[in-house]
Amino acid sequence: MEKFFQLFVAAIALGGIYALIALGFVVVYKATGTFNFAQGGFVLLGAYLVYQFGDDWSLPFFVALILAMVVMAGVAAGIERVVIRPMINGPPFTIVLITLGVLLIIEQAVRTLWSEPAYVLTTPWGNGVTEVAGVSIRHVDMWTVGFATLVLGGFFAIFRFTTIGIAMRATAFDQEAAAAQGIKVGRSFSISWAIAGAVAVVAGAMLTSRTGSVLTPGLSFIALRAFPAMIIGGLDSPGGAVAGGVVIGVVEVMALGYLDFDWIGSGFEVVLAYVLMIIVLLWRPNGLFGTRAVQRV
Amino acid sequence: MAERSLLSVSATTLEFGGVSALLDVDFEVESGELLAVIGPNGAGKTSLFNCLNGVYTPRHGSILFEGIELVGKRPARIANLGIARTFQNLALFANLDVIDNLMLGRHHLMKTGLAAGAIWVGRAKREEIANRLICKDIAEFLDLDQFGSTPVGLLPYGIQKRIELGRAMAMEPTLLLLDEPVAGMNLEERNTMTALIQQVRAERDMAILLVEHDVDFVMAIADRVLVLNFGRVIATGTPDVVTVHPEVVAAYLGAG
Amino acid sequence: MSSRADAARVATPSMKLLPDKLTRMMFGLAVLIFLVTPLVLDDDFWMTVLANAGAFAVASIGLSILTGFTGQVSLGHAALLTIGGYTVGYFGADHGWPMWAWMLAAILIGALVGVAIGPFALRLKGNYLVVVTLALVFITGYVVENWTSVTGGFDGKSVNSASLAIGPVDFGELHIFGRDFSREQGIFYLCWIMVALTALVGRNIIRTRPGRAMRAVRDRDVAAEVIGVSNARYKIAAFAISSAMAGLGGALYAISLRFISPSNPAAELFLSIRFVAIIIVGGLGTIYGAVIGALLLGPLPELVQEFAGLFDFTIPIVDRPLVGDSPADNGIFSAASFSEILFGVLLVVFLIFAPEGIAGMIRRLRRRLAGRSNVDPDNVSDN
Ligand SMILES: Nc1ncnc2c1ncn2[C@@H]1O[C@H](COP(=O)(O)OP(=O)(O)O)[C@@H](O)[C@H]1O
Ligand SMILES: [Mg+2]
Repeated sequence: MEKFFQLFVAAIALGGIYALIALGFVVVYKATGTFNFAQGGFVLLGAYLVYQFGDDWSLPFFVALILAMVVMAGVAAGIERVVIRPMINGPPFTIVLITLGVLLIIEQAVRTLWSEPAYVLTTPWGNGVTEVAGVSIRHVDMWTVGFATLVLGGFFAIFRFTTIGIAMRATAFDQEAAAAQGIKVGRSFSISWAIAGAVAVVAGAMLTSRTGSVLTPGLSFIALRAFPAMIIGGLDSPGGAVAGGVVIGVVEVMALGYLDFDWIGSGFEVVLAYVLMIIVLLWRPNGLFGTRAVQRV
Repeated sequence: MAERSLLSVSATTLEFGGVSALLDVDFEVESGELLAVIGPNGAGKTSLFNCLNGVYTPRHGSILFEGIELVGKRPARIANLGIARTFQNLALFANLDVIDNLMLGRHHLMKTGLAAGAIWVGRAKREEIANRLICKDIAEFLDLDQFGSTPVGLLPYGIQKRIELGRAMAMEPTLLLLDEPVAGMNLEERNTMTALIQQVRAERDMAILLVEHDVDFVMAIADRVLVLNFGRVIATGTPDVVTVHPEVVAAYLGAG
Repeated sequence: MSSRADAARVATPSMKLLPDKLTRMMFGLAVLIFLVTPLVLDDDFWMTVLANAGAFAVASIGLSILTGFTGQVSLGHAALLTIGGYTVGYFGADHGWPMWAWMLAAILIGALVGVAIGPFALRLKGNYLVVVTLALVFITGYVVENWTSVTGGFDGKSVNSASLAIGPVDFGELHIFGRDFSREQGIFYLCWIMVALTALVGRNIIRTRPGRAMRAVRDRDVAAEVIGVSNARYKIAAFAISSAMAGLGGALYAISLRFISPSNPAAELFLSIRFVAIIIVGGLGTIYGAVIGALLLGPLPELVQEFAGLFDFTIPIVDRPLVGDSPADNGIFSAASFSEILFGVLLVVFLIFAPEGIAGMIRRLRRRLAGRSNVDPDNVSDN
């Protein structure tokens, strides 16, 4: 039983990381209808920026984190302005493909700018552990869950209560109608991408500071594992992204914890998330909490 | 037993989020007949077509076509049974030329599959040529043969409306659904289209269900008229009877 | 009336194999270049680079049918090449199947996997489907790593012993008119013959009923369904064809590389993106666009590596060379990074500034030239 709780805590923490990655993705989808593959690249670049400001330039961690968030918000909004905005009314899959191109460029840019193979990120929580009733809980996991909750709560508040959030929802629903209502469509786009960039920094920092993790360009690959999370939750649902992240985290950790390696083979945890996603999609094509699109002729 | 109607729609109800777009709709269409459907905007005319096509599934009711239940069938299946349609808002394949658009109307009458197509020589080629000849005749009939390989999306609106009619004709249907075929046209285009529809009727043995706002147009060509209002049938009958029906006058004609 | 006369009456550019005279001339020229290249370029490195481009072209034609003609985006294309590669490794090399048999196996297994994606193509729209195709990359990677009896696991396997003979012709050691050709030259011929056959099959499908149906599904799915074109059937068909061609391309690629081993899913995803870049740069909606794209972009990594020397000029402020061909050079970019970045940049730049790709540029150029003589032989945006 103790093993179960131990694993459960780890599962929730991993789910929190997936959720953080997925949330940055969902905000752009929800506000602009864009499926942004580059989010994985934002997570990667964000983590390196935190390292650059914190470890390399020796700024205090939280200063480095916030600075990186500001920079990434700018980078993401800039990318949106330069390569996404001009194509908003283009052929259907153009934007998805552009975000793939951006992912490719960011990934290689990171390899180029930080040529060393791996770094370790120094954080206030470090490798700290607290024992609670025989179960050891890592501080990094607590921070992760805290950040995920904070971001989710923030999204909820923004979308529900602020004029910007309402404008973003209207824009995603129907750009032309929103524009006709006097909503500044372009501003909604910029803001949602900026938010996605900032959230990616938090996700990247948490991902890298997990026990045993180091900062390598391969990180964006782990971000790819968050795709099933947001698909399972439903692309346009922040709450769903968190739920999907937790589901994937739990299944992944439990499978690794309980199943025999000889039986499952290597890399099982990676496909598991995708297989789970496929099963959910066959059952509910718009994810668990996504809204259904209606077609009209 | 009385002779069966070509199409019989009974007690058909369609809802969108609790709002009825169609409510207990009942009517029949006889072979070769032209039945016009009129009614104010939002009355449910297009929704009715979508139910006949299988694009929407009614909440309840039954739609029998030549004795076959259409409710629950996929649109492609319904097309195979012999129901063709034009759309209120154009739905042509914009990147293809006129002949390819017409050829798509003949899709369900052709057989070439992947294997035969990949080989080309033999069956695929024979079938392609035979059907292209038919489409070329239709294009000539509709005066569309001058546009060559231009993608139809680049052609004027009135021409595109005509191509849609051609595509439906190419399907060789027994029931043709025309959703506002002359909407948005100028007087000259409108006259051409009216003449074409009448000519199609004269030459081919098919029933037509036609939605149109223009009352004069409808009264001139329809055998019978069906009036929809808020999703309900409020009158059916010959044009002269319907025009004087008090509920119709109140709901529609009076206002128009 | 004779059927020949009928054919002449109804033939439009969209029905012909090669729509017009200029296209036919260009095609003839391409065949000539194909025949002559190995004779004048007797160099193993270059032959392999061009053979790889041919293998990529085969797979790209498949993706072009799926994306360009049917409107479905796939990120799983690289996985299908991998599957094709292991098919030739297992059946061709391990079990000694003749060439026609391992080719057929690669095509059929590819098609089967494509059909398996089908049900998702029906239920899922756009973005959801893209992520499902991405799943294929992960699942394939997992299977490859763990099904060691077939794949050789992490060690990979050699495909060198697979037969390259069909009838009396052995592409592994060609002799024509008393002249001996190297294995690399033979594989070059083999790959590009398969490009021609694949292009022929692709073009034939596109110009007949199934291809027309695919284009209809791409342009307006609901209207297509309403006139009798089953979206389900043609989306599945497109995935099957595309995957079959990717399987064949993957088998040829493995033959050309002589060896196949697992690569990580990120690398596979990037390879898939390269295929997307190939068909976008080449031009969607034409078969020859995919071939041009593969020829230009397929060999990019090798070209960058080979010509890294051209880019090793020093960038002033940072005082480092732009591209270093080895880590010791301390280049701003490594050769590998530089080519990946080029792919990304080309993809984005073409999507924004030239979404019709090179084929579209050629079309526009011809229209402009034809405009002067007042005839318009090629006002076709899609055939
Ligand atoms: N896909 C849909 N989703 C929600 N409501 C719809 C849909 N299609 C039609 N409606 C509603 O059904 C009613 C009838 O519409 P329609 O059939 O288009 O009317 P008409 O063609 O007579 O103008 C309208 O109130 C319309 O808003
Ligand atoms: Mg209508």
